[in-house]
Amino acid sequence: MFIVDDILFQPFISILDAIHTLAVTEMYDIEAIQNELKENQLLYELGDRDEAEYAERKAELEAELETAELAHEQLDNKNIQIQQ
Amino acid sequence: MTDDDSLYVYGVIENEDLDLEIEGVNGADHAYTVDYQSLSAVVSDIDTVEPERSDENVKNHDEVLQTVLEYDGGRTIVPMSFGMGFKDKRTLKNLLRNARPVFTRTLREIDGMVELGLKVLTEDDASFDREGVVADVEGRFDPISVNMVENELFSDRLVINRSYLVERADREAFNEAVSEFEDTHEELLVQYTGPWAPYNFVDIEISAQR
Repeated sequence: MFIVDDILFQPFISILDAIHTLAVTEMYDIEAIQNELKENQLLYELGDRDEAEYAERKAELEAELETAELAHEQLDNKNIQIQQ
Repeated sequence: MTDDDSLYVYGVIENEDLDLEIEGVNGADHAYTVDYQSLSAVVSDIDTVEPERSDENVKNHDEVLQTVLEYDGGRTIVPMSFGMGFKDKRTLKNLLRNARPVFTRTLREIDGMVELGLKVLTEDDASFDREGVVADVEGRFDPISVNMVENELFSDRLVINRSYLVERADREAFNEAVSEFEDTHEELLVQYTGPWAPYNFVDIEISAQR
């Protein structure tokens, strides 16, 4: 029974892992967050965003970046790679 | 890793003695030159070969380069990227000796030139003629620059993000072209920066033991 379960279950786990990996990659797009940080800085330097807006957005993005880096670190530890 | 005799290198100029009182990387209070034959490295004394890439350190790195670039009528400097610490003067001189041909050639290629940055952005949700703006930028700035590199468009609002290599003598003409461009396109935001040491126009990879 255990063996049957194992065989049946294994592909299912892999697909779930794959979907999870894709979701993490999409949800926690480190490059996109870094780009938003650069955009925020640029708009502040150009006077298009005031200091309060800039600081608030920067704090939000830095928190997002930290979460994203953590998510990717956990993913890397599971050693799952999806070719895109 | 610490070493009281370590040196931090900002860039390389043609042989000349300079000693500048300026805030450098990791709290250094001056920058001076270390020579090898026809070259001089602009350095500060530092207590580590791996300084932290903090905002302040990066800013001070850039400011030392800009100061040398503008010093006493201007200097040509091959900029190092941030983080070039060497464990002692001998190691640095070894690098200068080994890389002397490439430094010499690069100094010749960028002689008398500076880098200027131009970013153009749209207002939020504004409709505009992207191709027309790009063509206008090319028409105005290509003729007064020696070279240009396109940098990443990291925001949907960015239309232009370019670095230009410009002769010092053409800087005034470039400044005027930027003003005219701004007057013509009041719907756009323009960020004009520099002069910078020509980071985007030198391609030297340091892989020697530091």
